[in-house]
Amino acid sequence: MENNNMYLPYLMKIDKITCEAPSIKTFKLKFINKEDEESFNFKAGQFGEYSIFGEGESTFCIASSPTRKGYIECTFREVGKITSALANCEEGNIIGFRGPYGNTFPIEQWTGKNLIFIAGGIALPPLRCVIWNALDLRDKFKDITILYGAKTADDLVYKYELEDWKNRNDVKLITTVDPGGETKDWTGEVGFVPHILGKYPPHSNNTIAIVCGPPIMIKLTMPILMKLGFTNENIFTTLENRMKCGIGKCGHCMVGNNYVCKDGPVYRYDELLQLPLEY
Amino acid sequence: MKILSGKIMNYKTLKIDNLDLFFNEIKKSGKNLLVPKKKGKTTYFSSFININDVEFNYIQTTISPKSALFPKVEELISFKKDDGTYVVTEPSIEKETIVFGLRPCDAVGLEYLSNFFLNEKSDFTVRLRKENTTLITLACKNFDENCFCTSVGLSPASIKGSDICLTDIGNGLFYAEIITDKGEKLIAEHSALFSNAEKINKESYVAQVPLKFDSDNLIKNIKNYYNSEKWTINSLPCLGCGACAFVCPTCTCFNIEDEANPVCGTRLRCWDSCAFGIFTLHASGHNPRPIQSNRWRHRVLHKFGYSVTNMDTLSCVGCGRCIRVCPAGMNIIEQILDLQEA
Repeated sequence: MENNNMYLPYLMKIDKITCEAPSIKTFKLKFINKEDEESFNFKAGQFGEYSIFGEGESTFCIASSPTRKGYIECTFREVGKITSALANCEEGNIIGFRGPYGNTFPIEQWTGKNLIFIAGGIALPPLRCVIWNALDLRDKFKDITILYGAKTADDLVYKYELEDWKNRNDVKLITTVDPGGETKDWTGEVGFVPHILGKYPPHSNNTIAIVCGPPIMIKLTMPILMKLGFTNENIFTTLENRMKCGIGKCGHCMVGNNYVCKDGPVYRYDELLQLPLEY
Repeated sequence: MKILSGKIMNYKTLKIDNLDLFFNEIKKSGKNLLVPKKKGKTTYFSSFININDVEFNYIQTTISPKSALFPKVEELISFKKDDGTYVVTEPSIEKETIVFGLRPCDAVGLEYLSNFFLNEKSDFTVRLRKENTTLITLACKNFDENCFCTSVGLSPASIKGSDICLTDIGNGLFYAEIITDKGEKLIAEHSALFSNAEKINKESYVAQVPLKFDSDNLIKNIKNYYNSEKWTINSLPCLGCGACAFVCPTCTCFNIEDEANPVCGTRLRCWDSCAFGIFTLHASGHNPRPIQSNRWRHRVLHKFGYSVTNMDTLSCVGCGRCIRVCPAGMNIIEQILDLQEA
C-alpha cells in the first residue's frame, strides 16, 4: 500500500525549449531535487501529468528515451488552457510532473526482430521514445524503418532528428506530407501515410509494427498491414484518451472496463480489438 | 447474487430518547458527527448541531453520504510561489467523523467506494478518511418504488460495510448490532447509554423490498447488451446533467482543477460525471463517447458489468437515488428490465 499522496508532483525545471512546428513545442525537463532524479525510472510508452501551478495538469507521453538519463522530454501542441500556459513558459521556469504512469512497450521481447514505426502528425512523440530506446540498443534489433507523415512539411516534428535518422545507414526513414503540404524543396514523399506504406511495403516476417496516429490513419493503415501478412499480435499502438489522474481512479479514460492510464496506454492490436470502440 | 453478510461482534439496545445525549456526547468529544438534515425537499448529511435539526423522516436521503469519504471538492495539494520555485504542501489529516443515519445500501456503497480508491494505487485522502470514519447505519422500516436493494443482493437488514447498525424495534428502542472494532470502540466511549441485549431476528422490523430484476441473469448476459438498440431509445430523455452521478454513493469519477492567485493556490479534486459530453473529449476534438446514449450505456455497464470484471462486485447498491433525482425521468430499473426483455 502506498503511504504517500499520489498527487504530489515532482518539481521540474525547464532546461530547454524547442519549437518543433506551428504551436508544437518540446520541453526538456530536469529534476530540481537530486534524489528524485536518482530514484526516477520509466520505460518506453509511459506518460505523465505535467502541470503549471495555478492552471492545472495536462497529460503527455514521455517523449525521450529511458536510455537517456537525468532528464525527460515532452512534446505538446498548444490547444487549451493548460497547454497554452505551458507554451508561455520560458527556459528556467519550474513546472510540476507526476509519473511515470501506464504500461510499456515490451521492447525486451522484440530482440532479434525488425521494427517498423508508423506515425502521423503529433503521434510521433510517443514513438520517438521507443525509436531512441531501440536505436540506443541498435545491435539488439534487425532492420529499423520509420514511416512518418504530417499534413505539411512545416508540421513535421523533430526535424533535426529526422535529418539525423535520414543520414544513419542503420535506419530507413520515409517521410511524407499530405498532398498540397509539400514545400518547393521537399524531397520526401507526398501522400497519406497508408498510401505510402503500400508504396514501400515492409516485410511482415519477423517484424513488429508500432503504429500511432489519428483514428483515421489507424483505420486505413491496419488493412494494409494485414494484407502484408502482419498479425494482430505483431502490431502495437498507444492510446491517448482524456485523462486526469493517471492512476486508474478518475474514470475519464475508461474504455469498457479498461483504464487506458493503467491497463494501457500501450495495446497489442489483438488486445485493442477486445475493447469497445470508445477510444 | 448472494445476500452479503458480516460477522457481528456484539448486540446492544439504545433508547431512542437517548439519541440526543449520544449525539451531544459525540459532539463534546470533538468528533465531527454527520446527521441527516432537510432543506426544502432535499435531505443530506451535515454536521450535528442540535437534535431538532436532525431529520428522521426519510426513505432515503436525497444526497448520499459519500462526501464523508470522498468530498465533492477537496484539496489534493496546495502550492505557494517562493523565489522562482514553488513550495508544495499536502492537506492535513482530518478529524474523526461519525456518520449517523445512512441506510444499509449506503454502507455497502461506501465500502465499494473505499475499496475502489484503496485498490492498487491507494488513495491517500480517502484512506485517511476511511480510517477515521465510523458508520452508524439505520435499517429501513419503509421503502418506495425506486428502492431495489434486494435486486442487487442486499436487503434493508444488511450490515455489510456498517460499523454499527441500528434497527427500530418498537417500544422506543434501537437494537444495535456492533460489527467492527471501530463500532465497538465508539460504543465503549458511550457505554452508559447502551444496554446489553440478545441477538434477535430483525426481519420483522425491517422493510420487505420486492425484487425488481434478476441480477445474476443481468451479470451473465451483460456482454450481449452492449450493442442493444435499447440504449438509444431509453437515453433519449437524458439531459446529461450528471445529477445521477452526484447523488450516487458509488460514483467515483472526478476532475482535477487548480484554483489560484498569482502567489498561491490549491489543486482540487471535484466530482465529475461520465454523463457529461466533455468528460471524454480529446484535445483534438475527437470524442470517444460522442452521444448521450453512449454515455448512458457506459454508466449502466460500469455499474453492472465493468465493476464485476474489475472489482468482483456490482457498483450499484439499489438506493434508487438516481431515479428519484432525475429531472427527465430516466430509470435504471426500467433500462435493465428492458435489456432483459429483449
